Amino acid sequence: MLVDAKLIERARGGDDAAFNELVLAYRRRVLGAIARLIGRREDVEDVGQQVFLRLYLSLEQLRTPDVFEPWLYRLTVNAAYDYLRKQRRRGELRMADLSESAVQMADAAAGGVQRREESDRTRTREYVQSLLASVSEADRALLILKEVEGLSLKELEQIYHVNENALKVRLFRARQRVLKALASQRADAGKAGGRE
Amino acid sequence: MAENDLFNHPQPDLESELDRIFAAYREACPAPEPSPNFMPLLWEKIEARRSVSYSFGRLTRAFITAAAAICLLLVVLQSTSRTQPAFYTQTYIEALAASASDSSPYTEISLYELPGGDTYQ
Repeated sequence: MLVDAKLIERARGGDDAAFNELVLAYRRRVLGAIARLIGRREDVEDVGQQVFLRLYLSLEQLRTPDVFEPWLYRLTVNAAYDYLRKQRRRGELRMADLSESAVQMADAAAGGVQRREESDRTRTREYVQSLLASVSEADRALLILKEVEGLSLKELEQIYHVNENALKVRLFRARQRVLKALASQRADAGKAGGRE
Repeated sequence: MAENDLFNHPQPDLESELDRIFAAYREACPAPEPSPNFMPLLWEKIEARRSVSYSFGRLTRAFITAAAAICLLLVVLQSTSRTQPAFYTQTYIEALAASASDSSPYTEISLYELPGGDTYQ
């Protein structure tokens, strides 16, 4: 844990200064997870504030400081879901927006090297997002938490309140779907290369 | 990790390739540096939510107080208006008995004692 259990207890008791410290300790981790879950950097802070607002409102329900981190991850995943659902309702083309924002960021970058690096990152993000489009939002979040965030099955168990075997099955199926999408993209790329 | 390798990997070992792709994604999505406005905006949102909760709490308390006062008033009204109703509620027998007990000249009953001990009405 990044903070002392006493700090969590103080924040839970309504100490605003303790809550402030808690946010300062965890905000980078939360913002990183959100960035990987939603794939849109310009909205990461807004979603992050939603996470901490929900944490502030629900902290008194936390049974013990030991489960604070899974609790925070759960809030993070839920806020990311809500954001993605809203985006879907608005009918926005996420990949197109991502490209636009990436272009803006790349334009803002002063040097050519920086621009190239940002362009490479954008390509990677878009590529992975397109692969992950083959699974549901819930499975996408699960895969990202496991494969990208590096959470253990035990931690995922605490976040999702699902037993380890059920999680393994879900992860396996989600991974298989992504692998299938990867194989089909490779096959398409091979065909296109063969024609050229 | 060179990004170009990611897209032009010749070996179709998909399992390990997927692991590499996820690792590349992690690198491509670094945790963003929070802006200086992050904390002030967060506290603004918390304060806004607190004031909404406070107003809602006050409204709820006012509503409960008003409901309790109305209940009390209704109880008082019920208990004070326990008088005889204006309409007729007696049964026929009760009405007869009541009229028999009246000292009306038409319903006066006289009892005469007969010599044999019997009574004659």
